[in-house]
Amino acid sequence: MPVVSLPYRYLERLCGTDRKTIMENLPLIGSDIERILEDQVDVEFFPSRVDLYSTEGVARAMRGYLGIETGEEIYPVTPSGISFTIDPNIREIRPYLGSAVIRDIALDNEAIISLMGVQEALHWVVGRGRAKVAIGVHDLDAVTPPFRYYGAPVTKRFVPLDYEREMSLTGIMEEHPKGRDYAHIVSGKPLMPLIEDADGNVLSFPPIINGELTRVTDKTRNLLLDVTGTDERAVQTALRVLCTTLITAGGRCESVSVNGAVMPDLSPAKREISVSGCNRLLGTSFSPGEIAVLLRKMRYGAEASGPDTVSLQIPCYRADIMHEWDVYEDVAIGAGFASLRAELPATFSAGHEHPIQALASAVRDICTGLGYLEVMPFTLSNEEVMYTRMQRSPDPRALRVLHPISEEQTLVRSDLLPLLLDLFRMNKRRELPQRIFHTGDVVSEERTGQKVALASTHPGADFSEAYATADALMRELGVAFTLEKSSDPAFIPGRVADIVVDGRCAGMFGEIHPGVLNRFDIDQPVAGIELDLSLLFGDRVSKS
Amino acid sequence: MQLTINEKRLLLELSGRGEGSPETLGGILQKPPESVIQYANLLLQKGLTEVKRDTTVSLVRTAEGEACLRDGLPERQLYDSFKDSIPIAELNRHPQAKIGIGWMKRLGWITIQDGLIMKTGDASPSAVEIALKQPEAAPKDIQKELLRRGLVSEEEHTAWTIRITDAGRSLVEGGLDLREEVGALTADQISSGNWRDLTLRAYDITKSPRPVWPGKIHPYQRMINEMRRILLDMGFTELYGSIIQGAFWNFDALFQPQDHPAREMQDTFHLAGKKDLPENWEQVRDMHESGGSLSSSGWGGRWDPEKAKATVLRTHTTCLSIQHLAAHPNPPVKAFCIGRVYRRETIDPTHLPEFEQLEGIVMDTDVSFRHLLGFLREFYLRMGFESVRFRPGYFPYTEPSVEPEVYIEGLGWVELGGAGIFREEVTAPWGITCPVLAWGLGVSRVAMLRMGLTDLRELYQSDIGWVRSVPVVHSGGRC
Repeated sequence: MPVVSLPYRYLERLCGTDRKTIMENLPLIGSDIERILEDQVDVEFFPSRVDLYSTEGVARAMRGYLGIETGEEIYPVTPSGISFTIDPNIREIRPYLGSAVIRDIALDNEAIISLMGVQEALHWVVGRGRAKVAIGVHDLDAVTPPFRYYGAPVTKRFVPLDYEREMSLTGIMEEHPKGRDYAHIVSGKPLMPLIEDADGNVLSFPPIINGELTRVTDKTRNLLLDVTGTDERAVQTALRVLCTTLITAGGRCESVSVNGAVMPDLSPAKREISVSGCNRLLGTSFSPGEIAVLLRKMRYGAEASGPDTVSLQIPCYRADIMHEWDVYEDVAIGAGFASLRAELPATFSAGHEHPIQALASAVRDICTGLGYLEVMPFTLSNEEVMYTRMQRSPDPRALRVLHPISEEQTLVRSDLLPLLLDLFRMNKRRELPQRIFHTGDVVSEERTGQKVALASTHPGADFSEAYATADALMRELGVAFTLEKSSDPAFIPGRVADIVVDGRCAGMFGEIHPGVLNRFDIDQPVAGIELDLSLLFGDRVSKS
Repeated sequence: MQLTINEKRLLLELSGRGEGSPETLGGILQKPPESVIQYANLLLQKGLTEVKRDTTVSLVRTAEGEACLRDGLPERQLYDSFKDSIPIAELNRHPQAKIGIGWMKRLGWITIQDGLIMKTGDASPSAVEIALKQPEAAPKDIQKELLRRGLVSEEEHTAWTIRITDAGRSLVEGGLDLREEVGALTADQISSGNWRDLTLRAYDITKSPRPVWPGKIHPYQRMINEMRRILLDMGFTELYGSIIQGAFWNFDALFQPQDHPAREMQDTFHLAGKKDLPENWEQVRDMHESGGSLSSSGWGGRWDPEKAKATVLRTHTTCLSIQHLAAHPNPPVKAFCIGRVYRRETIDPTHLPEFEQLEGIVMDTDVSFRHLLGFLREFYLRMGFESVRFRPGYFPYTEPSVEPEVYIEGLGWVELGGAGIFREEVTAPWGITCPVLAWGLGVSRVAMLRMGLTDLRELYQSDIGWVRSVPVVHSGGRC
């Protein structure tokens, strides 16, 4: 989640209340306080509430929540007479453009920082790292309308932001820091998105960089906004959040005609909600009037419109309101979660342990009874530990991850015994004897199964110990078995046996091969056992 | 004061003599001198005796020295092997020639001329020959000669003197029980009744025993079991399922938008192969694209069935909850799961690519958000967190959403999991009409708080010393 920096002075001015009240109530409107600094507080908001990614947006919500100013804000939009054309040649590349003009704004340092913050947050959350949506803010007075959004060849040249010389689009993608960060979004396309004014001056190379020409400073009074992207709804959402933020910051919004379509549309969406539906979901008994009051606190326009209905004006920046329940949540937040009485329903129900977990508990009882200490190794492992050190050939059925994050975790474990040996390596300096076990999930192909492994290390650990322990384990599991000679290379030849149940090999035990001990850097003999529980107990303990 | 019978007998003997050597005392007590020294040292620790140790060095003939004493030194043997004279070449064949000829010459027993050895007539016993008979009495320089020739060696002798102290004396004067003490009780002694006549030796409780490490359940598993117990007690049914899931169940069925960054290879472990979509997948598609037949707008855009077929390691156990609900769409359902989940995170003290998550769901006709808060409060209370508060939260698949926080002394309010009511977009495709309360919890995070760990890895890369040291029961309840 993006972090928003809220400067106290600006926040107090916009909220019309003191810092202490604001700080106490921030968590209640859904923010997570990251850091409290001398001049500002850094907070996180949820990705659904992009309208709260600016000091202006937080102040708007806070004024409502504290009852200083409730109901919806009205955002007047007057025509600017400015128009944009979208060239058909950009349709396959980055087809959507939103635009608006903001006039008579005085951007002090704090407002500029806030504007950059909301822009970054929108890029990240709505724009998916600028791929879906990218925003440009320009000094309108530096350029001449009408404007044109089109696909330009990569040889096109202009002076990008923070540079003094003209560069080609290819040059920007290769050399400019922003080019290197974002070129991947458009690289390989036949044409590049570009915005020009009537005189052919370049405003922006979305989604990468603006031109130096339209740089915004504290002297800028009139702004032109461009929002380009691949998803129309996301483009308009970002445009609305940006416009309403700038209006709250003191600007006046004027519309722009884009291929004949007038935008931004800052009018609220209308919706009617069911009072009984809301009360049923929340477990409350609010009247239509009470719900209207709570929602006005949350900056909706809201009026009781019938015995079971409240009609709403949903602010245009609330892109997260998809469903009636989204509004019910705001009723709960407006009332305060603390005011909702937590209570348990009276429904009777009996708990049931899952058979696999019940078996795992029984296996733990047996192993601890045999004096073994439980360990809980990772389920992600690698070829080296799982097979190479065990002197076993790699299992083709092992489940390998496509993009491992490190060499340590390249596959999901198919056996447990290798992990116990690896733990002996890590615990060499601990007192002997060491006897450890683990029971848990293993994966073969795509089937999740359960195994148990036990290992013992001390100067006398041998085949007899493994045999006696395996014998006890099988007896306590209530499973009859026979033994067969095994040629498992992880064990010393002649000191290993396969455990056979109903004609199938269900596991093995024996004395670990000294070559394996060398590879695991273990100094003492080890007696080991591994048993496939899903094979023994069939469907009772397996799940594919 | 606890004394063994041997200590008592030694003390008693000493009280008559005042002091004695281990050899003398051993003769009386019929014990080897080494044992007497051991008893004396035990008494010394209790302040009942003093033990004096004197070390002297004496010269003792070596095996070679003994042989020379018996057969004569090499030069004497050589001297006696011929009459008045002998050619050198002939004498050189004698086994002792190499050492012996030089010595005979040095001692002036012979002269050598023109390859012929002739006796001088004076072969009186040399100083070395004399000294070999009594090495201790020999002059220092001759002793050195004997050592150099390997005829004698130095031997260390330790003489012990054991003396009773005043404390020892007054203990004896107070009377000692001298009945025979028994260490191990035998079956014979028990069945015959002989034990009545025995004094069983008392042990010294001030000494620590050799530690015994029992087999036991890992502290982390014990905590997981405690959570399972709580939920089973609260009437929940336990779920279990595969760690390999289709993206459909892991993301799409939970209304996670297809362009959400968490779905990408960057954050989620993807596996080879595709998973078929279940029946009814079109309903899920419609929810994403337009909200289906609900009042929802959906996410918009186009939903790609191919993307939903990707195979992943589950990123949460919620994928099991929704499958359980899809299979049991009618109320009531109360289920929970504690299982391992996977995120593509680089390992550091607070992040691991795999960890445990707890997940609970309740579906019934009249359950509400207030009941969700009730379940959360009850669960945390039973876990020992007495103060619980609720903050607004956000999860793509719940609405309303809530983040419970618990108060922990020294840390303040700590966020501990997330909860909410499953969105209708999540439940409607499966014909579920009742609200579904759901909550999740990072189990390993609770474990770190409970066990005071600073590094998550300690839970999985078990230090056997640590697991041995964590008690099964600790103050404040079971760990």
